[in-house]
Amino acid sequence: MNSNPSIIGTSPKRVDAREKVTGSARYGQDLRMDGMLFARVKHAEYPHARIRSIKTARAKRLKGVAAVVTAADIPGNPAFGAIIIDNQPIAGDKVRYLGDAVAVVAAETEAIAERAVDLIEVKYEELPGVFDPREALKPDAPRIHEKGNLIVHHKTRKGDVGVGFGEADRIIERSYSTQRVEHAYIETEVVVAYLDPDGTLVIKGSHQNLFNIRSAVAGVLGLPLSKVRIIQASLGGSFGGKDDCMAVLGCRAGLLSLKTARPIMLSNSREDSLVESYKRHPYFLDYKVGVKDDGTITAMEINIVADGGAYASMTQFVTWRSVVHATGPYRVPHVKTDIYGAYTNNTYTGAFRGFGSPQITFAYESLMDEIAGELGMDPLQFRLKNVLRDNDVTATGQKLDHTVSVGEALEVTTRAAGWDEKRKKFPEENAGRIMKRGIGLACSYRGVALGAEGVDATGAIVRIHSDGSVDLTTGLSEMGQGLKTIFSQIVAAELGLPIEKIQYRETDTSTITDGGPTVASRSTIIGGSAVRKAAIAAREKLGAAAAEKLGAPPAKIIASDEKIMVKGDPVRAVSFREAATMALDAGMNLSSFAWHVSPPIWWNEEEGRGDAYFTYVYGCQIAEVEVDPETGRVNVLEVWAAHDVGKAINPETVRGQICGGVATAIGYGLLEEVEMVDGVTKTMNLDEYLIPTAMDVGKIHAIILENEDKYGPYGAKCVAEPTAELCAAAIANAVCHATGKRIRDLPLNLERIVLGHKLVKKKRRVR
Amino acid sequence: MIPFNLVRAESLEEALDLLDRQPPDVKIIAGGTDLLVELRSLSPREKGPGIVLDITPIDELKGIEDNGSTITIGPLTTHREIAASPIIREHAPLLSTACSTIGATQHRNIATIGGNVINGSPAADSVPALIVLDAEAVFKSKNGERVSPLKEIFVKPYRTDIKEDEILTALRFERLPEGARSSFIKLGRRNALAISRMNIAVIIVLEGNTIVEARISPGSATPLPDRIKAAEKILIGNEPSEELFRRAGKEVSGEMINRSGIRWSTPYKQPVIAALTTRALREAVEKR
Amino acid sequence: MKKITLKITINGRKHTLRIDPNLRLLDLLRDELRLTGTKEGCGIGECGACTVILDGRAVNACLILAGQCNGREVVTIEGLTGKDDLHPLQQAFIDHGAVQCGFCTPGMIMSAAALLDQNPTPTEEDIREAISGNLCRCTGYTQIVEAIQAVADDN
Ligand SMILES: Cc1cc2nc3c(=O)[nH]c(=O)nc-3n(C[C@H](O)[C@H](O)[C@H](O)COP(=O)(O)OP(=O)(O)OC[C@H]3O[C@@H](n4cnc5c(N)ncnc54)[C@H](O)[C@@H]3O)c2cc1C
Ligand code: FES
Ligand code: FES
Repeated sequence: MNSNPSIIGTSPKRVDAREKVTGSARYGQDLRMDGMLFARVKHAEYPHARIRSIKTARAKRLKGVAAVVTAADIPGNPAFGAIIIDNQPIAGDKVRYLGDAVAVVAAETEAIAERAVDLIEVKYEELPGVFDPREALKPDAPRIHEKGNLIVHHKTRKGDVGVGFGEADRIIERSYSTQRVEHAYIETEVVVAYLDPDGTLVIKGSHQNLFNIRSAVAGVLGLPLSKVRIIQASLGGSFGGKDDCMAVLGCRAGLLSLKTARPIMLSNSREDSLVESYKRHPYFLDYKVGVKDDGTITAMEINIVADGGAYASMTQFVTWRSVVHATGPYRVPHVKTDIYGAYTNNTYTGAFRGFGSPQITFAYESLMDEIAGELGMDPLQFRLKNVLRDNDVTATGQKLDHTVSVGEALEVTTRAAGWDEKRKKFPEENAGRIMKRGIGLACSYRGVALGAEGVDATGAIVRIHSDGSVDLTTGLSEMGQGLKTIFSQIVAAELGLPIEKIQYRETDTSTITDGGPTVASRSTIIGGSAVRKAAIAAREKLGAAAAEKLGAPPAKIIASDEKIMVKGDPVRAVSFREAATMALDAGMNLSSFAWHVSPPIWWNEEEGRGDAYFTYVYGCQIAEVEVDPETGRVNVLEVWAAHDVGKAINPETVRGQICGGVATAIGYGLLEEVEMVDGVTKTMNLDEYLIPTAMDVGKIHAIILENEDKYGPYGAKCVAEPTAELCAAAIANAVCHATGKRIRDLPLNLERIVLGHKLVKKKRRVR
Repeated sequence: MIPFNLVRAESLEEALDLLDRQPPDVKIIAGGTDLLVELRSLSPREKGPGIVLDITPIDELKGIEDNGSTITIGPLTTHREIAASPIIREHAPLLSTACSTIGATQHRNIATIGGNVINGSPAADSVPALIVLDAEAVFKSKNGERVSPLKEIFVKPYRTDIKEDEILTALRFERLPEGARSSFIKLGRRNALAISRMNIAVIIVLEGNTIVEARISPGSATPLPDRIKAAEKILIGNEPSEELFRRAGKEVSGEMINRSGIRWSTPYKQPVIAALTTRALREAVEKR
Repeated sequence: MKKITLKITINGRKHTLRIDPNLRLLDLLRDELRLTGTKEGCGIGECGACTVILDGRAVNACLILAGQCNGREVVTIEGLTGKDDLHPLQQAFIDHGAVQCGFCTPGMIMSAAALLDQNPTPTEEDIREAISGNLCRCTGYTQIVEAIQAVADDN
């Protein structure tokens, strides 16, 4: 039995848009319950210290305080973590960064809770801290965790770099660095914890990855997984950012709820969020490249140190993605890459849209321009000479058996932007003007989904009701990216229904089995495949029932236009609703649960090679900028962004992802930095953490490329993350084109453009 | 938010009466865009004001008046009103520009010029413009009126000499003379919602092609808002030229260092304030 | 703290309330009246998620004391929707893909509504300026600007 998937490739309206434009969507901060208490956290007062004593008696005596908890009250494991179990929702013996909690208070109002927090007295023994990951890896550095400061070391090995450098005419060495940045979702983190009458602990809130949060909460609170239920409220942006830190909030609020048997709201202020929630890793990157005079790359040796902050979080996975992609989408016969993730006493770092790629993309794409410059080649031509093509082998030794479209992306984007002309014209025109124009590009490749990072499988449930309406449930979450709409579209396509007939159920760990996290831009390709399978399975059942009534073999039955009909003979049809009623009346099961597992891939950690991802996406972005060299202001006037998404199931959503990713990367390139001095966060709210406004984002031309992939539903791959990994590098290259100045450290703020380096506040000398 | 009481003054007299009785810690609120940010940042342990005095209902503190020579701005006039005012656009266009750069629409709709001045931030955008307009500040208290040149009210960053029983009741200045040209340039990190990294206000008056008067005031450059007379002198009596404007710019940056000393931000600010000054002068001459 | 009396019109309805003097307009709307469409993202006037229309102008509800709104008129996102139909801006936001996570959306629409009330035929620059106090981390603003432009073009 077939369907008529004409809805695929169109842009029906978002299924969750109405509630959002009317203000009726319920976000975490909008939740209220009878008897609800409000929680506040007593944070650490030193970035690295041993806790000597905690006195909570005065806080407990304050009128309106219901409970004060410390690590001593935790019934289960003291910590949780993805691989390394080190993140402590309430610190017991030691604090490792200023976002650690030492106690949490629940009170009748937030103001009372705040006052109570002030009454808690904690005595510390301050320990020497480490705030630079390169220092942290030195043998005599203070130890932040028992096992030392190295979180992880990954490597990639291919060929023999000695041989490669021997073949080169020139060897070029450069160092780059990237800064600590914040997701800056406009909604800060919030949970409400309460007990269902049957004793199940429910944590509802601004969650991205519900199953991760469930394991953490169950582990820390000593509950079986079946007694913990995580529900997602409407989520006000996440970008990878509402995972571990939500588990932390869940544990804290959950503990208080167990203690008081009342609902607890715990919500982070923006200041809390900036200090406490994890950030994107700052990287220090050293590149050494061998090239021939004709522009052929012969070898690359790369060394990277990543600042993991106080807890491991996703550092192992983030850095693994970096180690796989560190050379960029180029043919490099000899590769040696090492990356080290280190603990420091800074705010910990984890997943953030791009996941280890914006840092390396900034480095290798700046570097490609630098090499082209040394060789006197046009940056486009230099790249076209070296980019991966069909059937090429990557730095990890993987042969690419799909359409490798980075060359296409480069060509399409440069054509759209008028590259050749502008590269030539701008330098001539700049001679006579104060504001200098420049144009720069960056391209990348990106492994889709989790890759050899972990098990990549997820499920979906499709239920057809007797009136022909349909429920869809998955364990993946809407974060604004449009997942509810895309998934509903897939079900609608397979069942031949209008999208309005599909109801996407709220995401709740009690309704479906653990389908992994909503990360790595895996939703459409992995989740979408599961949804499609579930829809097809439900349709088959319906088709079988209808086939009998219509007197045709099931193979000849199709679902289209809200009807089940005989192919080529549309008069022989029953309405979808009738078919559903009929099947259910006949005692048939019209629900289906489907599970999708990603195709096999492998990674050999010892040898640093493998087929890291089952497919890749390719993209290119070009930024045209105007630089004021006298003041350091850079304006991004226009961006052209081409991304191969395999197949755009919903082009308008793809466009939204591209524009959003570009804007985030403009902020990364020019404005954003969470400044920390000796473990103290200096950037405390959105007056200091500056993200682009509508007047800072120029015109964005989203260009969708479609080379269908055999592994994706309808050929679709992904789009969310690659859009955010390119523009910072494109801007740096454009600034260099405009001014001749190469800036190797992010962000390209006023001071760096004028001086070439960051302004550093002198430390007051200690007597 | 820490607790306090709120008193809404319906008239200036009522407000002055309250201030005169000197109840402990009265704090005036106008647009609140500075004050509420400040109050929010106080922890429960810190002491806030006992009373917040809302002066926004007082109509006599609002609006822009032009008597043919002097322009008077009520302190409760919002940045939006000043930016859009035909009087200001005609007779003090740089102030209109300065107010139009403040915050974003939401802030300009409620934030007042009086608040901008009394808050005393070195980055306040209206202040350099008012300084080159040689504005005066008028304060009232139960005991009478006090008039002071605006630049003299600033004691240190975030501190003016306003007395506990006083309200700023007007800002006033002379219309720009015939032949005057002016410019205000703000340098922020973003194109909107940006506090000035630095800003600059200039006025020059030309007779024929000779500069007969010049007034220059940089923001976020010197510890206190002021005109840079040494740079103005360079201009007076000369014909406008790029070279002249560069010299004036250099003088402003030199004076900035004289007054502020060498600081961690000097390597950046020194060339940039010079460039901004030169640019503002150029822009002023090119206008009209 | 002495409670104060507040007479205020919200979404066309007159209210007389006894409130705490340190209540922000945002707290009044969200906590007292449970009009939760207005969001809080920063509390210091930087994000615009709390934007409402006060006497015809867009303002940040986190930067005004409720007590300062005596005798004044407030419109929130809830007041923009008619009984059955959406405001043209709400419809346009849906039609143009201008909504992702939606957290900035109510504030964004209020800023746009205030703009179109003042200036029914804005340029793209006017639109960008009018919403420059509303941060959006999801969309890159492109489709938001297009949605507002589309409503303006119909004027
Ligand atoms: C997001 C944001 C962006 C901003 N951007 C800018 C910017 O770009 N440029 C800029 O210059 N500023 C900016 N500001 C600061 C602020 O908006 C301005 O300084 C504004 O003009 C303050 O006016 P207000 O009426 O809101 O003052 P309020 O907060 O009401 O008052 C400020 C101070 O002045 C006192 N005061 C007010 N009126 C009087 C009076 N008549 N008599 C005596 N004392 C009085 C108050 O007691 C208080 O101490 C920004 C603020 C925010 C929150
Ligand atoms: S909450 Fe009011 S502007 Fe952010
Ligand atoms: S849609 Fe998410 S912040 Fe704007």
